Amino acid sequence: MFVFTINFPVFSLYTVIPRDIFQFMNSFKGKNDSMSDPRFKMIIWSIIAGTRGGINRAKILNLLANMPLNANKIATTLNLDHKTVIHHVNILTKNELIVKEEKNYGASYKLTQIMKDNQNVLVEIMERIGTK
Amino acid sequence: MIDFMIAAVIAALVNVVLLAITVTTYVQNMRLIRSYYTLGLVLVATLLMIQNVVIVIFWATLYMHNSDLMKSADMISHYLFAINIVQTIGLSILLWITRR
Repeated sequence: MFVFTINFPVFSLYTVIPRDIFQFMNSFKGKNDSMSDPRFKMIIWSIIAGTRGGINRAKILNLLANMPLNANKIATTLNLDHKTVIHHVNILTKNELIVKEEKNYGASYKLTQIMKDNQNVLVEIMERIGTK
Repeated sequence: MIDFMIAAVIAALVNVVLLAITVTTYVQNMRLIRSYYTLGLVLVATLLMIQNVVIVIFWATLYMHNSDLMKSADMISHYLFAINIVQTIGLSILLWITRR
């Protein structure tokens, strides 16, 4: 029997857009972002610097970089409203910057791998925010 | 018949309001994070705001001075409306992302 199959070509993102297409930006590099992906850098900059409440998002990411915490503990540590933290955490999860460790309620959040790989971007932003 | 010119002016004013809210958010961020990125966001949004104000002044000038110009401006006013309404849609999406 004749079975008609189509082999869809499998492209990774880096096949379509080469990873080093933005290498010309190397000349603008700061001192501590030697390894970070420029496109990921753009995403994290726009989430933190281009939205309302982005400063709190940066603080949450900075907190989770040290240890995984659940939403309630983030709220008490940063002295924020619980609802605000839930909102920020949902947005960060949707953008795949953080992920829940387990599925249940009250599970703690941790950084995703791509976020861990590009933590120096976060460090750079936190330096600029400082203690204001 | 809908007066496209009035609709276009209303759309341009809506654009200015949307951009004003966006610029406010960006400036609040820029006061905390001072970098080229935040400065660029404020600059781009402000320039778009100027563009919207100037386009209203430009079309108002066409209507004020000469009746011949007014006639031809009436013939193509729906294109101006299309330009402005597309910009309104785009800016609403930007504002939604910014204020989320």
